[in-house]
Amino acid sequence: MPASTAGFALGEMLAVLLARDMADGEKAIVGTNSDIQVAACNLARQRHAPHLWWVSGPGGMTNPTEGVVRPAADAENIAVAQAVMDLPQMIDFIDWKVHFFDFAILGALQTDRFGNINTVCVGEHARPRLRGPGTVGISALCGLSRRFYIMMTRHDRGAFVPRVDFVCGAGHLEGGSSRTDFGLPEGGPRLAVTPLGVFDFEPASKAMRIRSLHDGVTLEEVRDNTGFDLLVPDTIPRTTPPDTEELFMLRRAVDTTGVLAAKFPWPRAERKAVR
Amino acid sequence: MATTKQSKIVDLDTALSAVEDGMTVGIGGWIFHGQPMALIRGLVRRGARDLRLVPAPGSVAPDMLIGAGCVRETACVFISFEHLGLAPNFRRAAQSGTLGVLEMDGPGIAGGLRAGACDLPYGLIPDLGTDLPTVNPQGYRKARIQEGGRPLLEVPAIKPDIVLLHGQQADEEGNVQYFGSGYFDLLMAQAAKHVICSVDRLVPASTVRHNARLTKIPSAFVHAVVVTPFGAHPGCSPGLYAQDEAHLAAYVAASRDQASFDAYLADHARQAGGEAAYRDRIGANALATLSAGGAVP
Repeated sequence: MPASTAGFALGEMLAVLLARDMADGEKAIVGTNSDIQVAACNLARQRHAPHLWWVSGPGGMTNPTEGVVRPAADAENIAVAQAVMDLPQMIDFIDWKVHFFDFAILGALQTDRFGNINTVCVGEHARPRLRGPGTVGISALCGLSRRFYIMMTRHDRGAFVPRVDFVCGAGHLEGGSSRTDFGLPEGGPRLAVTPLGVFDFEPASKAMRIRSLHDGVTLEEVRDNTGFDLLVPDTIPRTTPPDTEELFMLRRAVDTTGVLAAKFPWPRAERKAVR
Repeated sequence: MATTKQSKIVDLDTALSAVEDGMTVGIGGWIFHGQPMALIRGLVRRGARDLRLVPAPGSVAPDMLIGAGCVRETACVFISFEHLGLAPNFRRAAQSGTLGVLEMDGPGIAGGLRAGACDLPYGLIPDLGTDLPTVNPQGYRKARIQEGGRPLLEVPAIKPDIVLLHGQQADEEGNVQYFGSGYFDLLMAQAAKHVICSVDRLVPASTVRHNARLTKIPSAFVHAVVVTPFGAHPGCSPGLYAQDEAHLAAYVAASRDQASFDAYLADHARQAGGEAAYRDRIGANALATLSAGGAVP
């Protein structure tokens, strides 16, 4: 577990790491139950990407920007939006159009070596051990956006499996060129951000690779908590933690009511505190 | 299409008498937003059976019908209690194998509803490389037309027998106004054979005309309007009242097993007195607090 977690919550760190990777002028979509995603997009807009354009998938509000992290579907976003689109019209670019969106950010019950996403079930579909919520727009966002991010609030062998039990969002499928061989557009997962580190996908094999580990996380710890062999670079960088300016902007301009800290504490620290 | 002549306002039971066992029933809203809960509780009270559900991404509405034994099969685009966890009764029924689950995704339901609304046999969607066609082969068929290297799927038209929606207010003619987003509601209404909307309040025609932009479901698409104050509780009715976090948490706790959930239903859906008794049970102060906005204790 990261050593320097006292100064910020897991949700705050994930929002900062995601925001750093967003570029000015990009188009993004935020789905349902997406506090960290909303915060990341609005943090990027406050800092280096003032023309980042994002739309609430369920609600159709574009760039709803205020200092409170609200559920993306909430009517309160309307009063702080630039436009309110109707979902049936948005479907055209969500479900059909190739590369309309530069990126989406998705959570999952499971992800795997090639960044495929599962939010449907653990175990066999007909008789699952765990019945998940379902696919919603994940299939289209993984398939059609230029890139996507995998945002995981837990990193363990239950979530990082050799092969997802159900592919509801295509990552790099079987690795290599299998994604484009299938007929999907170029793209796929760019990064996975987790409580332990940041991961990318090696360009040829498309297998998940350590990009950086958070302060205090060991290679052994991340291996113990990952159900497949991660590619390991010769030297493992440390994740640059959120700096004071990033945290200041996040807390004073994006998430003034502390939604991220309240909903996404560090998982193990919390468990220790309960014991 | 519905008639546009007489008043559409009917009582709950009259509206729900259109729902027959075995019908395909669409449900509007989005997760905790605009769930037509008074209509759902009414179906539970009436003992509906063998329904085939086509819910928009939802929460307590499909979950309650499933937990009450009203459902033979449900399409699942997304059924979630978000920060409160997985949908408890849906989860139990799906894991035990007693509920048929037609796995779907956004493109599948949108393509199917659009085809249904347009009287076309099927919609065309990109094959996105998922396992959906494997587990739901009737819902996702390899298309006869392929677009260059891009594989396509046919999704059969969805034409629900009944669609249940919740808006905030309506006039007697059945123009239904929304203070928040419309989600899939209008598309569902266009695809459906029969549309029942609950609203929190009845307003004069002049109020509707005062801001016609709020009318998401025009009267020609609406067969029956049921005026049910707090009819979306324990979900939220956008612009009018927040979701009831305490009640939703109690619902999840009560859903730990079937006996416990049956006891919940006995008190909250099957009780004598219908919705008026339900509101009494929740309590005026609790409901008023949800309407008051700001910090809800």
